[in-house]
Amino acid sequence: MEIIKTAGLTKNYRRFKKQAGMMGSIRGLVRREYEEKQAVTNLDLSIREGEFVGMIGPNGAGKTTLIKMLTGIIAPTCGTINVLGYYPNDLDHELKQQYAVVMGQKSQLFFELTVEDTLRLFKEIYGLPEEEYQISKEYFVNLFQVQELMHVQVRTLSLGERMKMELIAALLHNPKIIFLDEPTIGLDAVASKQIRGFLAEINQKKGTTIILTSHYMEDIKTLCKRSIVINHGCKIYDGDTEKLFEQYQKLKKITVTFQEPTSLPKMGNEARIIEQTPYKKVIMVPKENAPGLLRELMGLLPSDISVEEEEIGTVVERIYQKGGEGFA
Amino acid sequence: MEQSWREFTRKGEKVLRKYLEIIKIFIKTQLAWRGDVVIQILFTLTKILFACLLWRTIFKDRDQVAGFTINSMLSYYIISSFLNQMDMSSRVSGEISQRIRNGTFSKYMVLPVNIQGYFIAMELGIVLFYLSLDVITSVIWIFAFHIRFVFVSDPVAFVGAMILILLGLFFMAQLNYYLGLLTLKYEEIGTFLMIKDNLVAFITGSLIPLVLLPQGFVAVMKVFPFYYVTYLPSMLLIGRLKGELGMGLLVLACWCVILQAVIYATWHNYRIKYDGVGI
Repeated sequence: MEIIKTAGLTKNYRRFKKQAGMMGSIRGLVRREYEEKQAVTNLDLSIREGEFVGMIGPNGAGKTTLIKMLTGIIAPTCGTINVLGYYPNDLDHELKQQYAVVMGQKSQLFFELTVEDTLRLFKEIYGLPEEEYQISKEYFVNLFQVQELMHVQVRTLSLGERMKMELIAALLHNPKIIFLDEPTIGLDAVASKQIRGFLAEINQKKGTTIILTSHYMEDIKTLCKRSIVINHGCKIYDGDTEKLFEQYQKLKKITVTFQEPTSLPKMGNEARIIEQTPYKKVIMVPKENAPGLLRELMGLLPSDISVEEEEIGTVVERIYQKGGEGFA
Repeated sequence: MEQSWREFTRKGEKVLRKYLEIIKIFIKTQLAWRGDVVIQILFTLTKILFACLLWRTIFKDRDQVAGFTINSMLSYYIISSFLNQMDMSSRVSGEISQRIRNGTFSKYMVLPVNIQGYFIAMELGIVLFYLSLDVITSVIWIFAFHIRFVFVSDPVAFVGAMILILLGLFFMAQLNYYLGLLTLKYEEIGTFLMIKDNLVAFITGSLIPLVLLPQGFVAVMKVFPFYYVTYLPSMLLIGRLKGELGMGLLVLACWCVILQAVIYATWHNYRIKYDGVGI
């Protein structure tokens, strides 16, 4: 069932523009100049119940603006939005009961109090019966393994611990949709992996629809079957995540080591040596030419050989630069 | 019929519990900071001490000033400063303004709660906390300085004063909520707040009793709500101006209704200007 639908969604921001320096400030005081910035342009979107959708794009691409419009925080300039049958900017409580939003850099918790205090507040705000509250709290506290942290001041928690608590507060009322805006920002690899594990379980076991924005491609690749790439406010790709990365994974990295000093013969296949010692060579090769090159290298009797995918950062850069060609 | 009534009361109870929990959480946040609690007590003690010293000096060579004896003047001062301290609504405008400017106002927009109700409950929580401290310190000073506290004996005036106090606090919360919302349009509301603070301090009679001001000036003030926020209830509680109670209730109630309509219109017109920048 389709639970989010937008058509021709556009958001323009008006911002004050002034030149640097004292004269610029004085001129700005007398005569204001504004410029329009199109944050989201003519965006059509459809998300079905239970999907785990990743939104990626460089800074300023329009991802957060889109989430703000979907949650009703800001009003679109034009276009239509329908979330669970509501227009979000009406700020209808019936809709707000059914979604949750977690912003990685903003908190819903009271820093001077314990998490238990905030959860109790959320219990009343969402009108949860005591029994349902206890069951839900117990489930998430066990899932996130945070029993011993429930009675300490939030401000004393580490970033990773705090993010787990933010997620518990957001999930307590079992929302149908959860919007996550960079939930793993600033977290170390272990904490990020844990958070990913929890999100996957919530999506699978509770059937919660999750819309995730992240700059960490590991988050997107691991969790999201479907990805939406946004750049300059426009949707440039909407489809299978694996296919997206496969499409832009242009090169393979082959590392080969030898027992004896070995020289490589002249290589065709558009191969490029990026590191070379008498005993070790690292070669980048277009992925379609990799099997041929591997055969050639095996003829040199290497002691070890490994084939790796291109660094994810390079792939992402390529997606942002060229993404959407042939997809949009 | 009975079922719908039960449904109605169940919903009402849910709403009440929601705002009660907000009140409770803000009382808890106040209790988290011991230093603030101690400073608040000292602040109240010092204010009353200075007032005693000032008015005792003024009354040294006279028995009455504008119909006030030293005891009625100090009683007035304690009650009015007590009411002023109960009005913590300037926190509301400050908090809203700051949150709109840094984008964190969004956190209230995504919760199924009336935002104005949330801020009023927040203020109530903080007021209840300070109220308990202020009552204790005021009682200590009344005994320490042997102030023969002048207090109303008429139950009608007392109940009327209590209603006026509640309406006055609600009005001030509304006013500050409204001023906070203006950030959506003007981005910076420091000037509005400064004007409001100065006006309120003067007009409410918290600086000097309004009876010391020209009659014409006081007559004009009576059309505006501020006269009834601190000054009239303070006077009623020391047994004066009972004849103005009815007028006070009417004017203040009208202002509350008018301001609520203005808030409604402002929120609906300016809400779309919020860009949540900072998230």
